[in-house]
Amino acid sequence: MDVLQLGSYTFSSRLILGTGKFSNATIMLQAVRASGAQLVTVALRRFNREQAEDDLFGPLSAIEGITLMPNTSGASTAAEAIRAAHIARELSGSPFIKVEIHPNPQHLMPDPIETYEASRILAKEGFLVMPYITADPVLAKRLEEVGCVSVMPLGSAIGSGQGVATAAMIDIIIRESGIPVIVDAGLRSPSEAAHAMEMGCGAVLVNSAVAAAGNPPEMAEAFAEAVAAGRKAFKAGLMQKSGSAIATSPLTAFLGANG
Amino acid sequence: MSQMITIGLNGQQQLLPTGSAVSDLLSIIGSDGKSVAVVVNEQIIRPEKRPAHLLQEGDQVELLIFAGGG
Repeated sequence: MDVLQLGSYTFSSRLILGTGKFSNATIMLQAVRASGAQLVTVALRRFNREQAEDDLFGPLSAIEGITLMPNTSGASTAAEAIRAAHIARELSGSPFIKVEIHPNPQHLMPDPIETYEASRILAKEGFLVMPYITADPVLAKRLEEVGCVSVMPLGSAIGSGQGVATAAMIDIIIRESGIPVIVDAGLRSPSEAAHAMEMGCGAVLVNSAVAAAGNPPEMAEAFAEAVAAGRKAFKAGLMQKSGSAIATSPLTAFLGANG
Repeated sequence: MSQMITIGLNGQQQLLPTGSAVSDLLSIIGSDGKSVAVVVNEQIIRPEKRPAHLLQEGDQVELLIFAGGG
């Protein structure tokens, strides 16, 4: 069976869904169910007694077959991310952690040095580390070497919907990688997710594209279908590109042939 | 009237009766404690330790939950 292997865990779904930015929790939960995602990201936030309904742990845990992947969003240093990871593991009971360290709220680009350091330490502590990174093949390889179970290069800036602008770099990362490469951030349409999967990505992580869609549950389903189609196409093997035309029909001139 | 202590709770001041445990704090603010992580002075307090962990004047308490995130 074709499964996504992350550490000792296997998943049949190759769509990872984020839970941020949905208009309400009911729609978010409908989208999670419609997506068929088995790995779902959540963020840590301070408890607020006036907004107790914001707590997603209970409702998400009630969906069968879901593993939580907390992120370290809000951390701007390795030390903060490590602290967040420890707290998140306490709450989730899940060994997965998405290391996400972006110190600049203007562009939300991940800090490669702090991300590397946090990932190295957390992997050593036994976490299944999934670092969110810029599409840098050297960094990706270094993160694999320190024991990350995947690398998650950005397609484009978080929430920008600019698609896989980093395709050429992601292609190199995939070629060099011994662990699944997951495009995280920037996707807008299911066709972009299919493209990422056709390139050989192990999975895609989508949040804004579903949360900000006109109909989030429908969009979640569309992404699930696109991811499955893209994966199937990758497994089937795409044809070679050619610089010139290669006919699919016989070109023997019989209509104009002299009788 | 029992004596009170002041702690920091998620960055704000909170008055508590002297001798309150972490589990008492959770009841006071209306949390069942199941889906809340408790950090006192940078140290995670696991659920089984909460009834016995007494809060002291000036303790900095962080209560964290899972919210939506990508």
